[in-house]
Amino acid sequence: MAVAPGAEAAFFEVLDRHRASLVAALRRGGAEAGTQGTRLASSAEILASIENIMQDIITSLARKEAPAFTIGNRSSWENIKFEDSVGLQMVAHCTTRKIKSDSPKSVKNFALILKILSMIYKLVQSNTYATKRDIYYTDSQLFGNQTVVDNIINDISCMLRVPRRSLHILSTSKGLIAGNLRYIEEDGTKVHCPCGATAVAVPSNIQGIRNIITDAKFLLIVEKDATFQRLLDDDFCNKMSPCILVTGKGVPDLNTRLLVKKLWDSFHIPVFTLVDADPHGIEIMCIYKYGSMSMSFEAHNLTVPAMRWLGLLPSDIKRLNIPRDSLIPLTKQDQVKLDSILKRPYVTCQPVWRREMEIMANSKMKAEIQALTSLSSDYLSRVYLPNKLKFGGWI
Amino acid sequence: MEGMASAVCEVMPGREIKHRKPLSEERLFGKRPRSLGQGGRRCPRWRQKILRYLIIYWKCETETSKGVLLEGQLMISIEAVNSKHQPNALHCVTTIASARSICGVLVLKKLQKEIQSILPGFSAKLTSTVGERSCSPDTSGATSFQMIFEVDEKPRTLITDCLVIKHFLRKIIIIHHQIRFNFSVKVNGIFSTEIFGAENEPILNLWNGIALVVNYQHYVSRPKFITTESHCSRIHPVLGHPETLSIPDDVAGMGLLGELILTPVAALCPSPRVFSTQLNRISSVSIFLYGPSGLPLLLSNQEQPSTTVLKDICYFIDWKKYHLCVVPNLDLSLDGDLVLPDVSYRVESSEGDQYQNMDPQRQTLLLFLFVDFHSGFLVKQMEIWGTHTLLTAHLSAILMESRSAVRDAIQTTVDHVLEQHHQAAKAHQKLQASLSVAVNSVMSVVTGSTNSSFRKTCLQALQATDTQELGTKLHKIFHDVTQHRFLHHCSCDVKQQATPEKKDSAQTTEDAHESNSLELLAEVSGQAENKRLKRESLHQSVEEREAPHSASVRGTPQVSQRHVEPTAASLTMSRAEHRAVHVRAPARARASPGSLLEDALWLQEVSNLSEWLSPSHKSRTDGSPEPSGAGKGLLAAKRL
Repeated sequence: MAVAPGAEAAFFEVLDRHRASLVAALRRGGAEAGTQGTRLASSAEILASIENIMQDIITSLARKEAPAFTIGNRSSWENIKFEDSVGLQMVAHCTTRKIKSDSPKSVKNFALILKILSMIYKLVQSNTYATKRDIYYTDSQLFGNQTVVDNIINDISCMLRVPRRSLHILSTSKGLIAGNLRYIEEDGTKVHCPCGATAVAVPSNIQGIRNIITDAKFLLIVEKDATFQRLLDDDFCNKMSPCILVTGKGVPDLNTRLLVKKLWDSFHIPVFTLVDADPHGIEIMCIYKYGSMSMSFEAHNLTVPAMRWLGLLPSDIKRLNIPRDSLIPLTKQDQVKLDSILKRPYVTCQPVWRREMEIMANSKMKAEIQALTSLSSDYLSRVYLPNKLKFGGWI
Repeated sequence: MEGMASAVCEVMPGREIKHRKPLSEERLFGKRPRSLGQGGRRCPRWRQKILRYLIIYWKCETETSKGVLLEGQLMISIEAVNSKHQPNALHCVTTIASARSICGVLVLKKLQKEIQSILPGFSAKLTSTVGERSCSPDTSGATSFQMIFEVDEKPRTLITDCLVIKHFLRKIIIIHHQIRFNFSVKVNGIFSTEIFGAENEPILNLWNGIALVVNYQHYVSRPKFITTESHCSRIHPVLGHPETLSIPDDVAGMGLLGELILTPVAALCPSPRVFSTQLNRISSVSIFLYGPSGLPLLLSNQEQPSTTVLKDICYFIDWKKYHLCVVPNLDLSLDGDLVLPDVSYRVESSEGDQYQNMDPQRQTLLLFLFVDFHSGFLVKQMEIWGTHTLLTAHLSAILMESRSAVRDAIQTTVDHVLEQHHQAAKAHQKLQASLSVAVNSVMSVVTGSTNSSFRKTCLQALQATDTQELGTKLHKIFHDVTQHRFLHHCSCDVKQQATPEKKDSAQTTEDAHESNSLELLAEVSGQAENKRLKRESLHQSVEEREAPHSASVRGTPQVSQRHVEPTAASLTMSRAEHRAVHVRAPARARASPGSLLEDALWLQEVSNLSEWLSPSHKSRTDGSPEPSGAGKGLLAAKRL
């Protein structure tokens, strides 16, 4: 059993070496993210971009031509390239799709893009921010549902090649954060993340937070809120202090990803993930590490390729002799998802990950993090994680 | 028989009016005039009743195989002079004649007797002849059948009767388009003549021997705003499923042994293009009632729509689902060239009038209700007549008795038509709303911008002096541009582009263009639906041939044995093609039931197109007197 850090000074020795290797790799790799893809644009640039779009529409109409938007096709693998240091990113000359104003199928979408563009214009002009939910509620009947708004905002972000925050659009965060971290929000609110049984919400305006202070030795991303809460209840943050715990409550929202990215960029502390040993957990982990296809145009601001898979590894199931009745057979959908992940470009540069996924595929079984409770109720926080962290059990 | 010269007078379009040699007394069958009843009692609408009876008789006599469309010409002539016997009355000689024999010599006597029985209260002098041929070179279509009725009538009665007859004939020709009526009236030397016919007009074959002319100009007058771009020149009727009607007990005792079948047919008129974004609103509902043999129902005074269940069509159709409010329209004029509905309703939007006010394009929902008689045996003319008489007096009670079935049949059919309308309206609203959002968004940026260069460029692009004018222009241009594109996607437009144009004259080109293009529509854009309908039609033919008892049924599909979904119907052109489907298919069915339907279908399509495009088609239309291209009766009034 691993001993608590406070009792043994060498507890973080492996972690520190890992951190040093990551920093060294960064130095070897030269300048990191932020130079490609979307970049923060000034308000004047955003206003000018929107004015150009409106001008083009009017000019097109003056020529008796139906205007259309040309937007990069965000849902096609052919427009995605993989770079080990960045993750999934959109190629420069991607295939596009047209959103026409004279097609019965797309005329509404065309109008909604214009509507949101005009709202963004006002937000930027007045230097105010609105959440995606705020935008939806300005005319919920017109938009229909939140997903429509979310997709259009992403389309606009992709079209203008600027991150969403440059459009002055925020989203209500669903992620939580706890541990050794202090910062000041844009409005001046000082936040001191607790290490006890409570957590604070991930801020909505990640760009606006400043004076970030942490002594954390590592950042642990927990897939599920239930596991996150259990770790807090077990006083994990104090026992493994100094550390930071983050959960995106399943598939992470943009703010949670931005926060993780910001913490990595600011401190270069090792980032680990604790996910279920199932295809869905692996998918979530890949989003943190390599990004998603739909947001590939903003990968540089969202991905943390240095992130490592801490657990639960499919190989842990056999290694720890987790009882078979704590395991769940893979469903057909699980197998399809697993096959899909195995075909993704980043798996080729992760042979160890591939091996773990093959173990899962061969055993046709999956396990949730809670399966560890079959060994002991606090096995996760007292044994599994400390051991992994002390001895470098990540991949 | 002084009036006989005008009685057989025939007008040919583009030719001068010619007079036939009068038939001599000796050539009349029976020589002595027969008298139809005594006592001088009047029988209302007797001319229509006699016409209806003759057509029933004609149909039963000439129809040797199922599905044959009635074809020929009837001449109806009324010559009236001031009566020598009654003051303020006209002595009217009504002649009904046909170039072909409606009945044989032997049955003429029977026919006369039956006419006497069907018009018990009617008093007139009847003279009839059959089988004689005129020696005159002018009468190439020799008169083979002729009945002459003499009666004294009030002038107003005659005028009203003439108008009613015209509308009666218009109602007949939209179903029996191969029958042509030459209707002439001569009152104290003032002569007018009119030809009613829809031969060579596009039709929809509904079932055996029943077809519906689909040229929309029979049903609504052509408004100025209707163009071939925005509207189709044809209506696209939806054939509903047949429903067997229960006969009330008190009516069942009238000796009718068989089933009454109701088949609704509905269409919007004029029919908008499929993807047209023109705002179309239903402004009225017109109901046309037909009895057996596809002949108009002549409702009795007790059965007039204003007093029956039909006065409230809501009884059979739920309008609320379409946000429509329907009120009876009693303001029907007998004047005009359109087919007059039996019942008419005015539609008011339940959303208020503001929507209608901004809508210049109104549509009429046409609802044809065919009530046919079907027994397991050969249906004789007296049974058909009996059914007409029954329906004349008890239509309301019969419909009420089967309210649920009637409502189901009508509502399903109307739903099918209005659903398309509803979808089109929704698409239009979506477009309008989207354009409005788009324009407002652009204007929001333009008006909110502090960039004078940007604002100036926008104003200059649309040559607007201020942002208000820019908004107005932007909205208009946006609408124009997208409207045009939406029409461009219309399937009717596709077939129009592929249409070979004829260049005889402007009118010919337009007519040919429309007709041909609609054929291509049937081939190209409506292929799937046409195939489905034709397949059903073919199935029906096969079923009828195979069912031993049904071979004797005239003009009645096996409605009670099938329950077909309403479907947009196929458009066909001629009786020959119609026959091709109904005759060819069963023969081939024995060889290969699988491929038969497809083969027959395509053969019919090829036949349709080739016949329509062949020069013989044109020469046929040039070589014989025809109604005008639009299918309207040609009115030629002349003072002799």
